[in-house]
Amino acid sequence: MGDPHLLSSAHPTAAAAAAASSSAREHPGPIDEDLAAPDPSPSVAKRPRVAAEPPASGGCVPYVEADVRALVSMAGGIYPLARAEALRGLTAVLEKVDPSSRASVVITECSYQCAVVLMRDDDNGVRLAVVRLVDACARNFSARLDFDADGYGDLMDMIFLQLSSMARDMCTQVRMEAFAALGKMQRVSEGVLLQSLYKKVIKTDSMDVSIINGQKLPPKLKIPCAAGIFSHGIEDEFYQVRRTACKSLGALAKFSTQYTEKALDLLMDMMNDDSEAVRLQTLEALFHMATYGCLSVQEKHMHMFLGLLVDANALIRDAALKILGLVNMPKLQIFKSAVDGLITSLEKYPEEQDIYGILFSIGKNHGSFSANIAKHLAKEITMASDGELILDKPRVKALLIVSISAPFSDDKHKKLNIPSIIFSHAIPLLEKVSCALGGEVSQDSLLSYLCHKGGMPFWENRSVSAEFGESESCNVEKVEIGAHVENTAKETKCLDEVLVMQSMKSILEIVEGSWTMRMPCNVCEVRSILRTCKEELRLLAENSSGSIGAFLSFLSEYLDAILFIVEIWQLIQLDNPYTFGLTSLDILLEKLDMSVRRMEYCYVGLNRVLEVQVLELSLIAHLFRLSKIAVCSKVVLGKLLWVINRLEDLCADGSCELSDFSREIKKACDTSPTGDNLIGSINNLFQLFRLKPTTDFGMLKVINAGLRVCDNNSENPLQYICGLPVGVSFKISLWNVSSHHRLWLRMTIGESMQHTFLEFSGFGGNDEVKSGSMVAPLYATPKACSFVLRGSAPTREDMEDRVIVWFNSLMN
Amino acid sequence: MAIECLVLGAGQEVGKSCVVVTIGGKRVMFDCGMHMGYHDHRHYPDFARALTAWGAPDFTTAISCVVITHFHLDHIGALPYFTEVCGYHGPIYMTYPTKALAPFMLEDYRKVTMDQRGEEEQYSYEDILRCMKKVIPMDLKQTVQVDKDLVIRAYYAGHVIGAAMIYAKVGDAAMVYTGDYNMTPDRHLGAAQIDLLKLDLLITESTYAKTIRDSKHAREREFLKAVHKCVSGGGKVLIPTFALGRAQELCMLLDDYWERMDLKVPIYFSAGLTIQANVYYKMLIGWTSQKIKDSHAVHNPFDFKHVWHFERSFINNPGPCVLFATPGMISGGFSLEAFKKWAPSEKNLITLPGYCVSGTIGHKLMCGKPTRIDYKDTHIDVRCQIHQLAFSPHTDSKGIMDLTEFLSPKHVILVHGEKPQMAFLKERIESELGMPCYFPGNNESVSIPTTQNLKMSATERFITSCAVEQGKRSLHKRNLICRTGLSEVIGSDEEAVEGVLLMEKHKSPKILCEDELLEVLGMERHLVQFEPMVSRIVAAVESELQRAKAADLDSDGK
Ligand SMILES: [Zn+2]
Repeated sequence: MGDPHLLSSAHPTAAAAAAASSSAREHPGPIDEDLAAPDPSPSVAKRPRVAAEPPASGGCVPYVEADVRALVSMAGGIYPLARAEALRGLTAVLEKVDPSSRASVVITECSYQCAVVLMRDDDNGVRLAVVRLVDACARNFSARLDFDADGYGDLMDMIFLQLSSMARDMCTQVRMEAFAALGKMQRVSEGVLLQSLYKKVIKTDSMDVSIINGQKLPPKLKIPCAAGIFSHGIEDEFYQVRRTACKSLGALAKFSTQYTEKALDLLMDMMNDDSEAVRLQTLEALFHMATYGCLSVQEKHMHMFLGLLVDANALIRDAALKILGLVNMPKLQIFKSAVDGLITSLEKYPEEQDIYGILFSIGKNHGSFSANIAKHLAKEITMASDGELILDKPRVKALLIVSISAPFSDDKHKKLNIPSIIFSHAIPLLEKVSCALGGEVSQDSLLSYLCHKGGMPFWENRSVSAEFGESESCNVEKVEIGAHVENTAKETKCLDEVLVMQSMKSILEIVEGSWTMRMPCNVCEVRSILRTCKEELRLLAENSSGSIGAFLSFLSEYLDAILFIVEIWQLIQLDNPYTFGLTSLDILLEKLDMSVRRMEYCYVGLNRVLEVQVLELSLIAHLFRLSKIAVCSKVVLGKLLWVINRLEDLCADGSCELSDFSREIKKACDTSPTGDNLIGSINNLFQLFRLKPTTDFGMLKVINAGLRVCDNNSENPLQYICGLPVGVSFKISLWNVSSHHRLWLRMTIGESMQHTFLEFSGFGGNDEVKSGSMVAPLYATPKACSFVLRGSAPTREDMEDRVIVWFNSLMN
Repeated sequence: MAIECLVLGAGQEVGKSCVVVTIGGKRVMFDCGMHMGYHDHRHYPDFARALTAWGAPDFTTAISCVVITHFHLDHIGALPYFTEVCGYHGPIYMTYPTKALAPFMLEDYRKVTMDQRGEEEQYSYEDILRCMKKVIPMDLKQTVQVDKDLVIRAYYAGHVIGAAMIYAKVGDAAMVYTGDYNMTPDRHLGAAQIDLLKLDLLITESTYAKTIRDSKHAREREFLKAVHKCVSGGGKVLIPTFALGRAQELCMLLDDYWERMDLKVPIYFSAGLTIQANVYYKMLIGWTSQKIKDSHAVHNPFDFKHVWHFERSFINNPGPCVLFATPGMISGGFSLEAFKKWAPSEKNLITLPGYCVSGTIGHKLMCGKPTRIDYKDTHIDVRCQIHQLAFSPHTDSKGIMDLTEFLSPKHVILVHGEKPQMAFLKERIESELGMPCYFPGNNESVSIPTTQNLKMSATERFITSCAVEQGKRSLHKRNLICRTGLSEVIGSDEEAVEGVLLMEKHKSPKILCEDELLEVLGMERHLVQFEPMVSRIVAAVESELQRAKAADLDSDGK
């Protein structure tokens, strides 16, 4: 029925027939034909069939009109299936016709009249087709609105009401279709819209006679048939109908704010619906409304909203979040409960990082409320004791994000007075803030802004444009920290150095503070603080390179060592270490040694302060060894003395001072060369140990090596003959290795190990990176069909300088 | 022909629904209920008086059949009395679930009244069983041929499980008796559903003739909020409820909410409830809402995930919980026991059903919140919170209007409501829908005319002439469309075709063309012509007047 031309050729007589009297169906036939005698003849007699007619005189009538005529006449037929089919045909014609044409007016009017007559047809299929046809008519009429000044406003209201009455149909399909059609209406009076929400009939005179699109509400219309149609729709037994009703409810929000307010009440209630599809559709409708900026949340909705934020279904939570980011919250109380809800959700589902973005946008949308939050948070921060307010806590993070969003709000009252402490604490959250701003502002300028507002020393001498709102493009020149800032342009995700320095500093402060304040008495707490700090450092290190990267890796090594010290201390504190198991203490001591050694040998450019730090660590390591053996070992004592001498050397020129700890050890060694005093006073000495991590790292570089063996894998092994040497070709890259370093390549097959001197004088490259290849002979090939060799350059065992080489015997 | 409608009960009141309709000479009794408020002769409909009025020897000859809409006592309570005491032995129809559940309701009530009020026994348990044996069950939309002329059919009514609206038809006269119905679905029952029928009469309940209820979602939200608040504060929630219907509804609501909010607080069902719910609802799944019908194949929605069986000893357990207990009005039993224990703590919450009979604790709590309740010889301090449930299984005024509008009957009769509200609704139906509407009191009767359809044939000539006429008209119309706008086209279709209706004795009526008539009757054509006489009369009158005038002049002159 889709093609009108095809249609007209298929039914020549019908097409030629004139428009049948559609009113012939004013009185539908006996409804319960199954009850009555099944003889259709009386109906035939009552409803005269349309006889064929001679074709139209003259060819001036367009085909389409002839088709419409035929279809309209068929729609008056006695057989329900034929009636429905005719209506579907009309709908198809309407969809094809160009709404701006003159013919469209005629055809649409004709079809509409035909549909109106069949609205109360006793056949479900016919009513369904009627709804679709009316929908198509409405579309064409509203398209006419753009051309005709005289307008179809009344008519559109009429259609809305007619569709409403069909939305109470007993047939599910019809209801669904009617609601869908209602949602597609392009114009409707506010009065009618409001009535569609209330079951009670609103009195016309008390109703706000607002004008929509220049159309007053025509008083003659029978509004009651629209009464509460959406209230019914969302209570429907069938979820398909409820879903469609929700969708249309949201779609109509664009016409009236008053309507939107009331519609929100209905939609909020839908969140308890038992069908997930309906709940999601509702959230979508709410989102739709929110994007029109007309969604204002009331206190009574909050319980529901907060429930959504912790819903077990991730899709629901996600949709609720999106909406919350757009809604307008008229009261501080509501705002606070929304923030609390988000925090609860964050604590329950920490993996959902979007929440930060939402927190930022609701804060931004409600500037004065977030300023209020900021004030309370600042108080909390200043009152919190050292090391307690760890940024890791989702609550603090969330509140910081909300607080920091206030200055970005569009609120006209610019004097929001955000305490500077908020800005300085928000620096570590830079990435989240910048993410929430949607990349409009570069991280650099954002950072400079935060530093400036936070009263950071870096910025004291610099002029930063004062308010962000005024100039988003304020581009502060990049600041160089220390002497060396690597160009990190190739790593786009790399965090800004300033930011890293800031976070690093605060972490070190926490480390230092926790040690001085709690160490002797509260070991466990210190340990957990250190672990958190180390974790944060590791994250920072991952995103950094160059000197800072090297220093960060040095620092995590340092913290590792401290952690070992704490653990060893805990073991030693136990009265009888023997019962506890010697091995664990041994292992820890070994690990500490390794760690100290790595700090000593794997970095170049350690400045004096750093070296002192490392030496002190090694002092304490030796001290522990002494206490463990409980008898003075000459070897350990010798090493200890060597370290003290080195320390004295370093401090000789007065550039730094020997710490109390080192001085006491020196004194003890001086008084008794056998070291008996040392063991006795180990407790007191340990109490003197202080952490003084420095942030001055100079030109620190990390020594590293990378190994590669080309064209070798388990599928493609190297060939060899058992028992004969085989050459393995390594490609080697060395970072920060100078000519005075001596390096060996270690090759391991199972238990056996072979070291080969690494001759890199021929390697190309600069001081920073050298690379080249060398063929290392493997002498003792095992007498096996195949084996696996692991090669490594022993710079740092934990780094990725290992390589696995696969071999396969030729003798097979 | 007319439909005679005699209201034996629920006329301008709620209770003892019983309407006898005489349609096409067949007498059908719809519902046979008792009035719970009275314990004298008003307890049952006045059957004897009706029998005298009909002038029939006994009820079985007077009444063609009895149809019961649902198992509520105000619709079925008098049935055993009517069959076993009054001696009606004709057919009784009800739906399958009603037949299954009615004996329990009847027996339950019989026992309670016997125990509490010590009333003399109106009928025994054996009477109930004997009565139920006579019942013929029917299914939804099943057309039941009661006798040669009378057919009845049941439609889904919502309200309670198994509730039905009844369609009855004799010849061309047709009517619907709604019983109690609900136009809004709830979690376990669907909305009333009926075909578009051609009706002479609609008899509808009108419990909420004036009330327009707001959305059920708001009620659900308030309920969930109150319960959630109470349990998260560590309180206990007591939900006294009837065994069937509301308990399942609320439990589905809570179970779903618990699932979504991931709550761990236990929900308990007291013993009787679980058994009945599981047995009946699993059996009667076809009578529940669409959602349940859709999902029960994968998961029986009455196997609640968060609901546990309640042990009597749990009553003293600490910590929050939700408990469903019978009976609904806290008139005794387990709900009273739990109430005594929990009412004194302000942390706890008691929900009340929408309707409580006076004299029960539920009723006392409903009329203003007392701080202390004396019950028999104990008194209970009431400090707990109270939440009134606004759930109702009856349709509201809007629903009645919607159904009436949808069915568009020729006449409407209101029953099962209160007089002032019914008057209000009658006014609305008459003015807005343009249908005559009545609300007779008890023992009053209303007679309404019915339409009678006449089958007739038409001659071929007549049909051809009709078609030609129509063709001419539409040709004319087409020109209109081409030439001008639309206003002429719309609504210009009302043109009659002329013909002669011939009705002869012992022959079916026939429509024919004017010129066919003589042929059929076999007569000659007589022409009668009328002469226009007007001018002559006028002339005569004028000359008469002139003569009179001349005479007057003459006499004056004299
Ligand atoms: Zn009932």
